[in-house]
Amino acid sequence: MDKLLNFFTEIGKLKDLKRKGWVLRGIKDPESVADHIFRATLMAWVLGRRKHGLNIEKVMKMALIHDICEVYAGDTTQYDSLLAHKSKKEIEKLTHSWPRFSDSERKKLSLQKFKKEKKALEKLTKNLSHDLGKEMMDLWMDYENGKTKEGRFFKQMDRLENFLQATEYWKKHKSLSQKSWWDQARESFDDPVLLEFMGRIDKQFHTQTKKRK
Amino acid sequence: MDGKIFYITKTKLQELNKEYVELLDLERKKALGQEAPKILESEDLNPEFVSFQEDVGFLRSRIDELKNILEHHELIKKPAKDKQNIVTLGSKVKIDVDGQKDEFVIVGTLEANPALGKISNESPVGRALLGHKVGDEVVVSSPIKTTYKIKNIKFD
Repeated sequence: MDKLLNFFTEIGKLKDLKRKGWVLRGIKDPESVADHIFRATLMAWVLGRRKHGLNIEKVMKMALIHDICEVYAGDTTQYDSLLAHKSKKEIEKLTHSWPRFSDSERKKLSLQKFKKEKKALEKLTKNLSHDLGKEMMDLWMDYENGKTKEGRFFKQMDRLENFLQATEYWKKHKSLSQKSWWDQARESFDDPVLLEFMGRIDKQFHTQTKKRK
Repeated sequence: MDGKIFYITKTKLQELNKEYVELLDLERKKALGQEAPKILESEDLNPEFVSFQEDVGFLRSRIDELKNILEHHELIKKPAKDKQNIVTLGSKVKIDVDGQKDEFVIVGTLEANPALGKISNESPVGRALLGHKVGDEVVVSSPIKTTYKIKNIKFD
């Protein structure tokens, strides 16, 4: 039980780990990684019920563990490789658009992130029972690679929660640019249920504002 | 399932076929009480394959998923020469997104990986680009406007 207690204590650190994307955008007191995991799990359950043949237990477990590696790996954003020697203002401006990279840069950044996070997850789960640690690693690998229908669904679900949070912050802090979120969403989502939900977010949040940049 | 057609590359088809055969074999061995083969950990490892050694339910679910894909797939083929100036599935598209250079490959949902520039043909941007030619400007505008200008189309 001591090992489990240590594991839960480490996981508890995610309650204080602020999501880096919001920190870069200058959002005061932004959500934590644990906050994101909580709503992403709930959304995965509720929206996943609308998907025929999806294993909800697997999706929810995947949701719960998908970002726990950040206890040691920290929160990574698409902008990280572009931040060096930039002022706070320059960084905020950078986040107004979705970053674009060459094919080779994309592959390199993606592999770096994967290796860092896999190592962190191994460290985090190494003292758990073999079965439990392996189950967490298998679920994470499925999520990372979008191997099964559950992995593909949750990969998009994860981004959808982030997209909803972005829209909520935009409503609260009108200075926040929404463009990067919309570009990412329209290039990433292809699940009909999640696309329908994205449409609802648009309808609810943008009924009074037209073509906002 | 729902009779959806899965558009996949030849490489993906080979990979799925191999996995299907391996998982059926694993399931048969498990039913006979034989020990599953030992698999070394690696980054290329099929994660499901490992977890299936523990969870028979997940194994059957993945076999059913693979069977459905293999029964309802269509191979992505290179179009005829006179049609290679149009964005279709399998196109490598050099693009200018509101002034920023990018490159997409239009793929089916199973191979989509936006982090690597593989855009699903069922995503809003994938759908919008299909059927367009070099020089076209494709505007995706609801509710935030973004212009995708097609610079070049290639096929492997």
